[in-house]
Formats: sequence, structure tokens, C-alpha cells
Amino acid sequence: MEQTKELLINMGPQHPSTHGVLRILVKLDGETMTWAQPDIGYLHRCFEKLSENKMYPQVIPYTDRTDYLSAITNEHAYVLAVEKLLGIQPPERAEYIRVLMAEFQRICSHLLGLGSMALDLGAVSAFLYAWRDREKMYSIFERITGGRMLYNYFRIGGVRNDLPEGIIGTPQDGRDKADKTFWGFINYLDSYVIPEWDVLLTGNRIFQWRTQGVAPLSSQDAIAYGASGPVLRASGVKWDLRKNVPYSIYDRFEFDIPVGKENGDCFDRWWVRVEEMRQSSRIVKQALQWLAENPGEVMVPKLQRYPKPPPGEVYVRVEGSRGEVGVHLVSDGTQKPYKVKWRSPAFTHLQLIPLLAPGFKVADMIAIIGSLDIVLGEVDR
Amino acid sequence: MEPVNVQADLDLLAERFPGVTVAAIPAGGYEVKCSLENYLDVVRFLRERGFNYGSCITAIDWQDRLELVAQIYKLHPDYLGSPVVEVKVDGLPRQGAVVPSITPLYPGLNWHERETYDMYGIRFDGHPDLRRILLPDNWQGGHPLLKDFVDRRPQRPRLVRQRV
Repeated sequence: MEQTKELLINMGPQHPSTHGVLRILVKLDGETMTWAQPDIGYLHRCFEKLSENKMYPQVIPYTDRTDYLSAITNEHAYVLAVEKLLGIQPPERAEYIRVLMAEFQRICSHLLGLGSMALDLGAVSAFLYAWRDREKMYSIFERITGGRMLYNYFRIGGVRNDLPEGIIGTPQDGRDKADKTFWGFINYLDSYVIPEWDVLLTGNRIFQWRTQGVAPLSSQDAIAYGASGPVLRASGVKWDLRKNVPYSIYDRFEFDIPVGKENGDCFDRWWVRVEEMRQSSRIVKQALQWLAENPGEVMVPKLQRYPKPPPGEVYVRVEGSRGEVGVHLVSDGTQKPYKVKWRSPAFTHLQLIPLLAPGFKVADMIAIIGSLDIVLGEVDR
Repeated sequence: MEPVNVQADLDLLAERFPGVTVAAIPAGGYEVKCSLENYLDVVRFLRERGFNYGSCITAIDWQDRLELVAQIYKLHPDYLGSPVVEVKVDGLPRQGAVVPSITPLYPGLNWHERETYDMYGIRFDGHPDLRRILLPDNWQGGHPLLKDFVDRRPQRPRLVRQRV
């Protein structure tokens, strides 16, 4: 058989499926990938070095910008870390608002993750539908925080302000209020958006052919290679920090952990995200019910404006939209963090590409990157 | 789900390695302080005791020395509240520190070790591919997360708004 010459190609550095800049070096034998290596660092913004020169509360806006599609969960991780160092507990209402916002953000993030994966595989209208729905969520976020994408909403010891009047709505709110009230959007999501994803893509034969059996990841490899979040769960490992290492008040909510069905391929990673939107919607509903009945404080009274945590260190893990967000925070007793290390899930997931890609066609690389749901702001920080 | 007991493992660890100190961190988790010679054996011991998930590896610059910190824990669907164990090597020199790599035990820490090399200059002995990761390959300016790092690149000219 005639052997063709091996070809080294560059994918990127401006690859559309990556929310940023990523270059992947791929060796091709015909159309089959034999080797792949990601090259990162184009978006490096020195977040960790910058944080060492800011007061504790001033770091919060920077955490937004690491994973800019899931800003609230990053804030949650950082704020929890500082509160653990300080040894304070936010008021109950603030905890519920945080969980509400974090889960709403998770839906928001998965919507774009699913949409952009669909776009990469050629389904342009699905991407536009994702944006249509995200815009409605942005409008709700904007009414609460003032920002559409980068919120700076959580505070050490609570949240910046209470929910505005009327934003919760009532469980009877319909689709016409999807961009005005939480209940309006959640009802719209349950009755319209998720069924639409199911019909449009999950049940779509072409989509299934492009994703099923592509880049399977065994559960042993997933754990060894540090996968977390939907990527880990798609491989069949039922591990969710919200359940297994309960933080904040997640132990008060009822929800399930979706797990991939067979072998952790691209389709399973997709399916787990769709299911997680359903589960997040359940949590949001429970939080909304509690919040509607229980008014109260949203900030710890009499907290210093620029707190000085006692010397010490903490490593906090939070289940972000993409997986385990870890914050390693070292305090030396001053108003500024001595050291911040951001353990981001996308950074760890990108290491999987050399493992997943070989043996598949070059067109499958698009599905692989899309299914890992990588945000380069988080990879490079 | 049942609460996971790491205290027994850590007691056994302290017994097996005399110089190693184990302590609970007030804010949560445990720290295991070991020497450079023990480091690989300690991590291998923990790996065999079921600490299967390497979460993160990083260093702290204490101005006169570096401290390596590796966060590992047990990941299993049945476990509840699995605490993080921070394995620490203190007293590394700020220039030219060499530490054994634990990437062969935890492949997921590959890039984290590369990043620690890039940002702090700690070399990992036995790492499969130790190169700079976030900074350019030809970067000459040192290791940025060291506290005495100064950016010596020429300043970019400031944009001055033209008056019309």
C-alpha cells in the first residue's frame, strides 16, 4: 500500500469553537489525526500576579474575567475562599441568592456551550437560538447586577444588593415574561428551550453520527487526567462537588447528577449538559420559592470595607459550569492576598486533546473541542 | 454516600515517614509537610491509598525560599466531603530548584507542573515535556510570579490623542 507523507497542520490560533485564541498542532496521515498538541498562552492576562497587588474585594471583578461565560461561579469560589479565611458566614438570604445566581449562570453557560458546539458541527440556527435565549437571561442579570456579562455582584460576606422588586415573578409567569422575571424564564426554559434542544439536535441523526463514538474517554482516564464537571460525568463517574463536597447551602436542594450513558464520547458530554440544565432549573425553582417567602439581610453587618484575613491558607473547590474551580488563597495578614492560584477546569481539560484526538478524522477535532467546552480566558487566565 | 476517612491514611503516613508532619488546616483540609527526598514517596504512598485525583500543583514564594504545594484528594462517587490534602515541600531555593515530577502518577498535573515551572522556575525532574506554557518559548524575562520579578521589556509608547 502506498504511504502518504505525514502532514503537520495548525488549527487556529483563531479557532471559532474556542471563545478565544487557541492553536492546535495536528499531525495528519491522510485525513486521520495521529498526534495533536494544543498551544496556549495567547490570552494570558496575569490574573494571579495582578491579584497580589489588589485588596481582597478588588479581585472579584478579575475573577469574572477568567471564565467570562460563567462569571458568577468564579466569584462564588473566590468569595467562599476569602470568607473561609475570615471565618464569617453570609446571611441566609444571601446564600440563597448566590445559589440562585450560580445555577442561573450554569444554564446560561451551558446554553452557549451547546450552541457553539452545534455551530461547529454546522448547525448555525441552533447557535442563534442559544443567543436568543441567552439574551433574555442577560436582561434578567442586567436588572440585578447592572452588567450583562461581567457582573461583580458577589461580595465578601454577602451580595452587593438584594434582588430588585418583581424580578422573581410568580410561577404562573409565561413566555411573554421570559426576559423580565426568573419564573418567566424558567417556565420558558422548561416548556420550550430544552424540548427544542432535544428535538433539534439531541435526537438529530446527523448530529448523532457526528458525535456518537467520537473521542470516548474512559472513567479511569477521566479521573487520572483531572477531568471534572460534565466531562467527568459524561464518562460515567457520578461526582459532583455540589453533592459530594457540599459547599454554600447546596445540601438543602433536591437535584440529581446526570451521568453519561455509555462510554463518555462527545455525544455523552453533550447530553450531560442538556440534563444539567434541567437539574439547574429545578434548583432555581426551589431557591425562588424560598426567596419569595423569606425577606432579610443580604450583607454581613459591620464587615470591614477592606478586610484583613488572619495569616493562613485555604483551598476551595466549587462546581463551576465547566468543572472544578479551585482557589488556592494564601494570606499573610495584610489587606492584599499574598498568593492566588486559580485551578481552572478548562486548563485541565485541554490536556485531554492529545489523548482523545489520535485515530479520529480531522473534522472530529471540531466536535472534540466543542464537547470539552473550553473557555480560553480560563485556560490562560 | 458516606463520609470519607482520610485521618487513618494520614496517621499511617506519619508512621511510615518519620520526618513528615501532618496537620489540619483551620479553614479546611490537611497539610502534609515533607522533605524533598520524601516528596515522591509520600505522594506515591497517598496515590496507593486511594488519593486518585490530582487537583492542582503550585508554589508559594516566601521571599527567602519557595514552597511547593500539591493538592490531591480522593474522588469516588460514594464519598462525601472528601477533604483536600496539600502535600508541601518547603525550603526550596529560589533559583534552580529541582523537584521530582508527579505527572507519571497524576497525568492531569502535567500542565500544572509546566505552569509552575513557567511562573516560579521550579524544574520537575522526570516530567515528560517540561516547556514554558503560558509565556513564549523564547521568553528571557524570568519567572513572573516570583515576588521580585520586574518586567524589563521596553515600555510601549503611550497613545497620545491628536488635537484637531
